[in-house]
Amino acid sequence: MSTVYVCTWNAAGNAAGGGLSDVDTEALTLARKVAADMGAELRLAAVGGVCEQAIADAGRFGVAAIDAIESPQLDSGAEVSCELLLEAIEQWFGGAGARLLLLNQSFDARTIAPRLARRLRAGIIMNGVDLEASSDMIPDTEHEGDQDHIRVTTTAFGGDTRREYALTGAEVFIVCLSDNACEPAPAAEATQPAVNKVAVDLAAVSDRVRVVQRPAAVTGAKLEDAQVIVAGGRGLGESGNFRLVEELAEALGGVAGASRPIVDEGWTDSSHQVGLTGKITKPTLYIAAGISGASQHMVGCCAARNIVAINTDPDAAIFKHARFGIVGNCLELLPELTRAVKG
Amino acid sequence: MRIVVCAKQVLDPDAVNNYALVGKLEIGEDGRSLTQASIPRLMNAYDEQAIEAALRLRDEGKDLSLTVVTLGDDVDDMLKHAAALGADEIARVDVDPSTLDHNGIACILAAYIGSIGGADLVLCGRQASDDDQGLVPGMLAELLKAPLITIARAVDAGDGSVKVVRVTPDGDETVEADFPAIVTISNELGEARYPTMKAKMQARKREPSVVTVESLDLPSDELGRKAVLIRQYVPELLGNCEMIEGGSAAEQAAALVGKLRGENII
Ligand SMILES: Cc1cc2nc3c(=O)[nH]c(=O)nc-3n(C[C@H](O)[C@H](O)[C@H](O)COP(=O)(O)OP(=O)(O)OC[C@H]3O[C@@H](n4cnc5c(N)ncnc54)[C@H](O)[C@@H]3O)c2cc1C
Ligand SMILES: Nc1ncnc2c1ncn2[C@@H]1O[C@H](COP(=O)(O)O)[C@@H](O)[C@H]1O
Repeated sequence: MSTVYVCTWNAAGNAAGGGLSDVDTEALTLARKVAADMGAELRLAAVGGVCEQAIADAGRFGVAAIDAIESPQLDSGAEVSCELLLEAIEQWFGGAGARLLLLNQSFDARTIAPRLARRLRAGIIMNGVDLEASSDMIPDTEHEGDQDHIRVTTTAFGGDTRREYALTGAEVFIVCLSDNACEPAPAAEATQPAVNKVAVDLAAVSDRVRVVQRPAAVTGAKLEDAQVIVAGGRGLGESGNFRLVEELAEALGGVAGASRPIVDEGWTDSSHQVGLTGKITKPTLYIAAGISGASQHMVGCCAARNIVAINTDPDAAIFKHARFGIVGNCLELLPELTRAVKG
Repeated sequence: MRIVVCAKQVLDPDAVNNYALVGKLEIGEDGRSLTQASIPRLMNAYDEQAIEAALRLRDEGKDLSLTVVTLGDDVDDMLKHAAALGADEIARVDVDPSTLDHNGIACILAAYIGSIGGADLVLCGRQASDDDQGLVPGMLAELLKAPLITIARAVDAGDGSVKVVRVTPDGDETVEADFPAIVTISNELGEARYPTMKAKMQARKREPSVVTVESLDLPSDELGRKAVLIRQYVPELLGNCEMIEGGSAAEQAAALVGKLRGENII
């Protein structure tokens, strides 16, 4: 029987304290579906080990078995580099014989996955939002005769289009899934996954990228976790007006976000950027002020349960995504909203 | 030091956004390519910023040669733009990139770089703005057995090593690696310059070197696609927006807050 693996390095339960994160249970949800299509077994590969809560979570999502990939270097308490993760996964893979490897497309995964694909000679695609096993014909290519393949839906042009790729012609495939690709859905029947410990030897790994200075510890709430986000764009007019966004965010107990151009202009720093090349968020409420709603911005906030759009242009794309809209000047509306929230 | 920038020609993402917004983005008869002739073809903006990163090193007085390489046949305007910006060498590998996957593209770029005697620094964009994949640079790093440093906002290089400030989700990180190294450039690097009129005129006469795939002597199994684009479409957006109209800004704000509270959103 072939296997479908979800691979994570956040199941050891140290930092977040808990079990699997949403992005991993999203991956498991899609993995379970495609594994069923393929008649394959669903497993979890947990680099750095797996805690009790994560084992229970994996069971809820129907994982048959867990490979806990361990080595002292992964356990040192220090930041684990991409180089170590890559080497650990490559060594583990040698014995695992997976057909399909799904990863959440985290910042580090974007660095690791393309290199892993080269090492495993795997077919790979990023930005996956859905996948299925298919036996439809692959038209107009050298693969025309091939039948069984994995068909992956991705976003392209920042979300303006969707693409379908056939993964074919290799022993193994890697798919990186966008955050919020689906709603995590537990399996109809929970499992009790067995845990296989897999020791890897990372003693000889030397990182050719030397860290000179680590990021200063982040303070404040993270956009990715925020329930309320108030975001501003070029419609704010000038740098000083970003304050209006921050004030409303604060009044709502939320976090301030921004479109890329105003980050590029230095109105706020890049930790606030929402979008394709910024943060992918999933708040209950996303208020977009002076943001046009370009696809590259919207991929970062379209999973919000409620979007409120404030824009002077009634034809702005943002209104197509919004639950509530006000055609008006955000420089007037933002302070009024802050007042109304406080009052 | 020798710097190679890998530059991809893409459809202007702003034009694609605008056509998509008004529901006028056309998909060709093959069901997968965007065919609109009215959408300009440009250099991927991150790749332009990769050239900018190299030019800034030159501005600082670093002694460097700059090669800009791409794949394709209808790419001379883009390469002439690179020449006008300051590329010493412009080259194209004569192959239609749509017949390749990212692995094949990386193999060809790696082989080209090998064929010119290697590079100290290979600069790429963090991702191509058409397919958004961000795969080629990591694959190149494996093929060239070089370290990979992603998402750079600043690049300093010389004396056999490169020092990069990376934009990470936790803030800026400074890292270093010895040559040869692969670095991907992000928009945080800042705006790319425009070529001067004079440089543009001179670049018109520059012809790119044309390299055939055969001359690169690649193992044939490397060029077979493992990821094949089958279909492309514009997702439908069912707008469902309740507009809050009438009254002053204060009244509209109160109405909105009332609705959000009424539905327990806040
Ligand atoms: C590869 C790639 C990656 C990208 N990644 C990202 C990303 O991660 N995040 C991101 O945000 N963008 C990203 N972009 C850029 C994106 O395409 C858009 O250019 C950008 O999101 C537009 O920002 P904006 O809405 O602030 O500005 P604009 O598009 O200029 O919109 C400003 C809006 O404000 C409105 N306005 C003006 N005055 C007022 C006023 N007084 N009150 C209310 N409204 C007003 C205008 O009507 C307009 O709709 C990316 C682009 C590419 C090509
Ligand atoms: N056809 C190509 N020609 C030259 N460089 C390319 C090509 N495709 C990708 N690249 C480089 O690889 C980067 C990432 O591209 P991608 O992996 O396609 O998102 C680009 O920004 C370029 O630097």
